[in-house]
Amino acid sequence: MFKTSLALFLLFFSLPAQAVEFDIYQSDYKPLQLALLMDAKIEDEAARKQLYHIVKSDLESSHSFDTLNPLSFLATASEAQTKVEYADWRIIGAEILALCRLSKARGVWRAQIQVHDPYRDKLLSITQLDSSSASLRPLAHMVANHIYKTVTGITGHFSSKILYVRKHGDLADLIYMDQDGANQQVVGRDFTLLLSPDWSPDGRNVALNTYVGNRPRLELFDLATGKRKVFGKFKGLNSTPEFSPDGRFIAASLSHTGNTELHIYDIAKRRWRQVTKHPAIDTTPTWSPDGKWLAFTSNRDGSPQIYRLRLADGRIKKVSLTGRYNTSPVWSPRGDRIAFITHKDWEYALATVRVDGSDIRYLATGGRIESPSWSPNAQMLLFSRETNGIRKVYRIPSWGGKMEAITAANEDASDPAWSP
Amino acid sequence: MNFKQCSTFGMVFMVSAGLLFIGCAKKEVPVGAAAKSPTVKSTPSRTAPKVVAVKPAVQKPASHSIYFAFDESRLDTAARGILNANAAWLEANPGLTIVVEGNCDERGSREYNLALGQRRADSIRDYLAEHGVADSRIETVSFGEERPACEGSGEACWAQNRRADIVTR
Repeated sequence: MFKTSLALFLLFFSLPAQAVEFDIYQSDYKPLQLALLMDAKIEDEAARKQLYHIVKSDLESSHSFDTLNPLSFLATASEAQTKVEYADWRIIGAEILALCRLSKARGVWRAQIQVHDPYRDKLLSITQLDSSSASLRPLAHMVANHIYKTVTGITGHFSSKILYVRKHGDLADLIYMDQDGANQQVVGRDFTLLLSPDWSPDGRNVALNTYVGNRPRLELFDLATGKRKVFGKFKGLNSTPEFSPDGRFIAASLSHTGNTELHIYDIAKRRWRQVTKHPAIDTTPTWSPDGKWLAFTSNRDGSPQIYRLRLADGRIKKVSLTGRYNTSPVWSPRGDRIAFITHKDWEYALATVRVDGSDIRYLATGGRIESPSWSPNAQMLLFSRETNGIRKVYRIPSWGGKMEAITAANEDASDPAWSP
Repeated sequence: MNFKQCSTFGMVFMVSAGLLFIGCAKKEVPVGAAAKSPTVKSTPSRTAPKVVAVKPAVQKPASHSIYFAFDESRLDTAARGILNANAAWLEANPGLTIVVEGNCDERGSREYNLALGQRRADSIRDYLAEHGVADSRIETVSFGEERPACEGSGEACWAQNRRADIVTR
């Protein structure tokens, strides 16, 4: 007992003056040990290697799997294709065995996959996936999705895309890339300020906030053609657009009625309607996946806090129950939690709470953290974080873990948006 | 502390007001400065008294920048003093229209700060409207924390960035 108190005492007094305020949430989840085994004809060896590395990196990036070193395997890929000896895989600790045979016929890549559970002596799934793309990447992401779904029951996010904003001088570009950072390209150039990009649920358009002639406006940006269409250009503020889950509406915050309020735009009817009416600031709306609620930031109780509003009757409930300054809510696509940014003494943290405000989890802290965005399966979060004057986009499992930068140090990256 | 801001404003003002005035707003502008404008000077000197006599009493305001406390859009006494001078100036120059640009320091969320900057600009618009400036002459815009006058961290810098500027068009 004495020892413990002494240890606690020493720990307490050894903390630096700028102690981290946030108790970072760590789940007790341990990644599954995965034996990933791929074979192909000798002439497809380079392709096999590439496929292996993309699938491995996808599954490890989810923090749900660790891939075992193939040097420890007691069977070759071709032996395993003939017969799986589960005991051989249990010995090396493989909790999941994924076998994949890659072949190519008439320009189509084919992956035949088996997923086994050696500890239950069980074949979990068997399937084949085809891709006519010249690049192996789409097929690799499909293979990773299949393994992930078989094992976790959750749809994989490995075929998804990410948008973010790259600032250069006073201008900003819209950048598009695969979720693993591959195929990066500039899709929109030289915006004067570019904030809050949000994907349409069909993945074809982006709603965004930009400035033209020093006036803010809301635009739809067509990802295929690059065409820009203005849909909000009122007096004062036009900001923070977000598509409804069914893609028919866009919620945004406008100030033309005299104060910044939430409004909803009906895309087909090209009509706006006002949703909140309160002398305080109401901004950054985010939809519940069933489309029935909007969560938002408001300073109606004196400082910015998170609230949710039921669209049917306008009933409002407070979501953030701790902290003086809470902003930037984003509703999880699964509906059960809301991610937001919280501050204590200007230490920033990414946090999530249940919709009723309970069970707060601080996921990441350190530096200026902003703009959370969920992966489509709600398993990961993106955010921007500035440390020592360098702003990058990071990802982190939504159930806690290590944050990883996914953009380079030589660019200013912000406002990430994960595709549907 | 707000010298840089003043000179920025001064330049914007000079260009947009057609070089009517010289010098920086931070300096004391002498009474009757308007009469010394190049346009007036270039007119034949014999007829000068008539031109000078138009509105000799109203000075160009010493400042066009209003500063705020953190997460605040309320106007303090200093702010109201500056705005009174600006309102008088605008009343004396009915041809001028203005843009009130609201800004914030870097702390907090960029999106919330857009709304906060708008609120700052709106509170100035409301004050000027209450003091006789027609609503139609005032435009408001917020740049949130996107256009800091002072790049960097720390209260000395933040205080300069929690600001709204009255810019003449």
